[in-house]
Amino acid sequence: MPEQLWFTHILNQMFAGPVTGALRALHIEPTYPQAPINNAVAMELVVFLFIIAFFLVVRSRLSVENPGGVQHVMELVHGFVSGQAREIIGHHSENYVPYLTALSIFILVCNLIGLIPGFESPTGVTATVPLGCALVSFAYYNWQGLKHHGAWGYFKHFMGPMPAMAVLMLPIEIVSHLARLLSLTVRLWANIFAGDLITLVFFSMIPIGVPIIFNGLHIVVAFLQAYVFMLLTAIYVAGAVAEEH
Amino acid sequence: MPSAESEPPKKQEESTWVQIGRFTQLAFVLPAGTVAGWLLGTALDHWLHQRWLSTVGLILGTVAGFVELIRTVLAHTSD
Repeated sequence: MPEQLWFTHILNQMFAGPVTGALRALHIEPTYPQAPINNAVAMELVVFLFIIAFFLVVRSRLSVENPGGVQHVMELVHGFVSGQAREIIGHHSENYVPYLTALSIFILVCNLIGLIPGFESPTGVTATVPLGCALVSFAYYNWQGLKHHGAWGYFKHFMGPMPAMAVLMLPIEIVSHLARLLSLTVRLWANIFAGDLITLVFFSMIPIGVPIIFNGLHIVVAFLQAYVFMLLTAIYVAGAVAEEH
Repeated sequence: MPSAESEPPKKQEESTWVQIGRFTQLAFVLPAGTVAGWLLGTALDHWLHQRWLSTVGLILGTVAGFVELIRTVLAHTSD
């Protein structure tokens, strides 16, 4: 049996049967049929539930006359992402702000949850969660490009500015886009994994005082990586919907 | 002397944070391109029962990494 966090253990006790059944229906045999839910999925679920609950509370307290502290913070976050999107994408950037904000908040909470004892950062446990985020972003910016230019117009983006070079540019562009998927995944996973590992190593050597410094570093890395992921997604959206190549 | 109205509009300056984000990406462009090309070539090798596509993918990935690197640098160094 794999090592399970307390929340993963509860989930597996409650839902192991239905989840294993659903996986088998999809012709996937789980490694541990008694515990098909791993820590990464369980922590993602915690983050998902936390964000839903948090925004339900924020929404119930929205006020124009008397905005509270949490509303101010969320307006600040929205304003920051809107400003970045406007700077990178330009006109009509407001269409992409909801996705970019949701993505950055999800990644940020995923990165930070590992600081709470009894929890793990799902973005640092395995590369599957960062890969999931990268796949969603990859699908999103390509879909936006397709919507903006149409199928043929977007396909022409991949062929470069010179028709004579199109045969060479097409595979290069395809590989280049797939490389984005890989670099988004590896950057987020490696940074959070390394942050967790460094904190753990120093905690095992000097358990008093020193881990606080590395926890502080982990918080900085968590914010920075969430920002970089959002920023690069905005850059890819800008490239996909740009008029000139 | 050309008037101010006839001058082409200057590209909007990016903030420091956007530049930091954009340039941290550069460290990953070359290795990610190479690995992505190799993975794509290997997948095609398995699918088409060939042995040479992984090498072609590796080379294409490296070229793609360089193209992306040069494109990003040129976009931010030319006036």
